[in-house]
Amino acid sequence: MNQLSALLYNRKIAPLVFLTPFMIIFLVFKVWPVILAITMSFQKFQGVQNQAFVGLQNYNSVFSLARFSQAFTNTTVYTIGTLLILIPVPLVLAVLLDSGRVAKSTLFRILIFLPALSSLVVAGVVFRLILAKEGFLNSFLSTTLGLPPARWLETAELALPSLIIVATWRWTGINMLYFNAGLVNIPRELYEAAAIDGATPLQMFWRITLPLLKPTTFFVLVLSIIGGYQVFVEPFIIFSGGGGPGDGALSLALLIYRTAFTSFEFGTAAAMGVILALIIFTLSVIQFRFFGVLQKET
Amino acid sequence: MSATTDSSLLIQQDTAIRTQRRRTSVVLVILFIALSFVFVLPLYWMVISSFRPQGMIFAEALNLVPSYVTLDSYHKLFNDQPYGRWFLNSILQTGGFATVALVICTMGGFALAKYQFPFRNALFVLILVSQMLPFHLLIVSLFLMIIRLGLVETYLGAIIPLAASPIGIFFIRQYMLSIDDEMLNAARVDGANEYQLFLRVVIPNSRPALATLFILFSLEYWNNLLWPLIVFREAENMPLAVGITRLVNQYQTSYDLVMAGSTLATLPIIILFIFLRRQVLEGIASTGTGMK
Repeated sequence: MNQLSALLYNRKIAPLVFLTPFMIIFLVFKVWPVILAITMSFQKFQGVQNQAFVGLQNYNSVFSLARFSQAFTNTTVYTIGTLLILIPVPLVLAVLLDSGRVAKSTLFRILIFLPALSSLVVAGVVFRLILAKEGFLNSFLSTTLGLPPARWLETAELALPSLIIVATWRWTGINMLYFNAGLVNIPRELYEAAAIDGATPLQMFWRITLPLLKPTTFFVLVLSIIGGYQVFVEPFIIFSGGGGPGDGALSLALLIYRTAFTSFEFGTAAAMGVILALIIFTLSVIQFRFFGVLQKET
Repeated sequence: MSATTDSSLLIQQDTAIRTQRRRTSVVLVILFIALSFVFVLPLYWMVISSFRPQGMIFAEALNLVPSYVTLDSYHKLFNDQPYGRWFLNSILQTGGFATVALVICTMGGFALAKYQFPFRNALFVLILVSQMLPFHLLIVSLFLMIIRLGLVETYLGAIIPLAASPIGIFFIRQYMLSIDDEMLNAARVDGANEYQLFLRVVIPNSRPALATLFILFSLEYWNNLLWPLIVFREAENMPLAVGITRLVNQYQTSYDLVMAGSTLATLPIIILFIFLRRQVLEGIASTGTGMK
C-alpha cells in the first residue's frame, strides 16, 4: 500500500496519472472506433451482428454508386463555393473594420458575428423558412425588384446555392474574427513607413496586409475545407433529412448518415467514412505542402 | 509671398484629402450598417415569427413589425411538446459534457505541458492529427459500441464519446506552457506533491483559460446535433437540437412552434455572449472551433 502511494506520488509517474482519464476515453472512443470503422469497411452486416469479411466489395459498390459520385461532386462544389465567398469577403471586411475609417467598428463586428451563435439546426430551420417559396427572400425580391418567386429549395440547381447562402450568413462573422486576430499581429510601423514612402492604401493592402496575413489565410482555408467536406446539419435540416430535389443537396456526410441509419448498410457507410477521411486528409496534406508548413518542420 | 501661396495650397490639398477621407468613412459606415442589417435580420425574423400565428408567418413575411402578437406557439411548445424536458436535457447534458471534458483536458494538458516522459511529443501529434478525422468516419462504429455498452438513450452515451477533445487538450497545453516553472518548483520545495501542486498552484493560475474552455465546450454541446441524434430516439431524452429537428420533420410542420423553439434555444447563448463576450470571441479565435 505504501509502495503504491509512493509510486503514485513519484514525479515520473504523476504525469501518466494526469493523462490517464483523457487517454482512456481517447483510446476507447476515438482510436478504437477508427480501427473498428476501417475493419467494418471490409465487412458485410446483417443487422447489428453477423459480420463477414467481404474484401473490397463495399468499396466497389460505393464507387459504382451514382449517388456517391453525385454526393462527392455536390460536396466539392459546395466547398469551393464557400471558399470563394468565405475567404475574400471576411478578409476585406476585417481589413476595412481594422482601418480606423469606420466608426463603431466593434459594434459592426459583433452584429455580423451574431449568426455564429445560433446552432446549425437553428440556422437551418430559419433559412428553410426564409428560402421557402412564399418565404422572406422571395417576397422581398418580388416586392422590390418584381422578380418571380424562385423555388430555392425545390430546384436541384438552386439547392447548393441555397446552402452557400446559409454558409455565408453563418460563417462570415467567424472568419472575420480569425482575420481580425491576424491583423492585430501586423506591426503598425510597417504601415506608417509605407505611408511616408507614399504608398496608397491599396498598395499597402497588396504588399503588407495580404502577405502578412498568409498564416491566418492558411488557417481559415484549412478549417473551411475540412468543414466544407463535412457539411451535414444544414442540408439535413433544410431538406428534411433527404438529399433535396434530385439529390441536389446530398452531401457526402449526409449520404453516410443515410446509408448507416436509413438503409442500415453499416459496412458501406463505414467504407464511405474511410473515403471521406482520406479525402480530407489528402487535401490537408496538399495544403500543408503548398503553404510550406511541413518543410519548415522537417 | 510665394511661401504663403505654397502653404495655402498645402492646406487646400490637406482639406481636400480630409473631405475625401470623411466621404469614404461615411460610405463605409453605410455599407456596414446595411451588412449588419442583413446579418441580423434572419435572427430578428425568427423572433418575430415565433410570436405570429402559423398562418401569418408567410403572409406577413415582409412585415418587420408584427401587426398581431401571440404567445400561442410558446404555450403549445410546453403543453403539446416535451420542450421543457428537452431544455432540461440540454442544460444537464451540456453541463455534464463541459465538466467532464474540462477536467480530463485540464489534467492531460498539464501533463503534456509541464512534464517530460517517453513518447510525449508523438502522443501530442497523434492527438492533433485525430482532430482532422471527420466524425462521420466514426458514427457507425461508435453507434455499435454504445449499443454493446448499453449506453444508447443515456446521458453517458451522449457525453463520454465526445469528451476527449483534441482542441481542448491543445488549448490547455498551450496555456500551461506559459506557467512559470520556478513557481512550480518553489511549491515542490515547500513540500507539495504533484497533485497538490496541480490543485493549489496550477488550477488557480489557469482560471481564465479554464473559464474560456468551459464556455467553448458548452457552446459546442448545446449546438451539436449529429451525435445526440444518433444516441437518442426517445423524445424524453433528447436535447434541444434533436428535439427541434423532430419538430421540423413532423408530418405537418408547425413553423410557429419551430420558430419559438429555435428562439428559446438561442436565447441562453445570446445571454451568455452578452456577459462573456471577450471569452467567447478569444476562445473561438484561438482554437478555431468556429468551423464545426
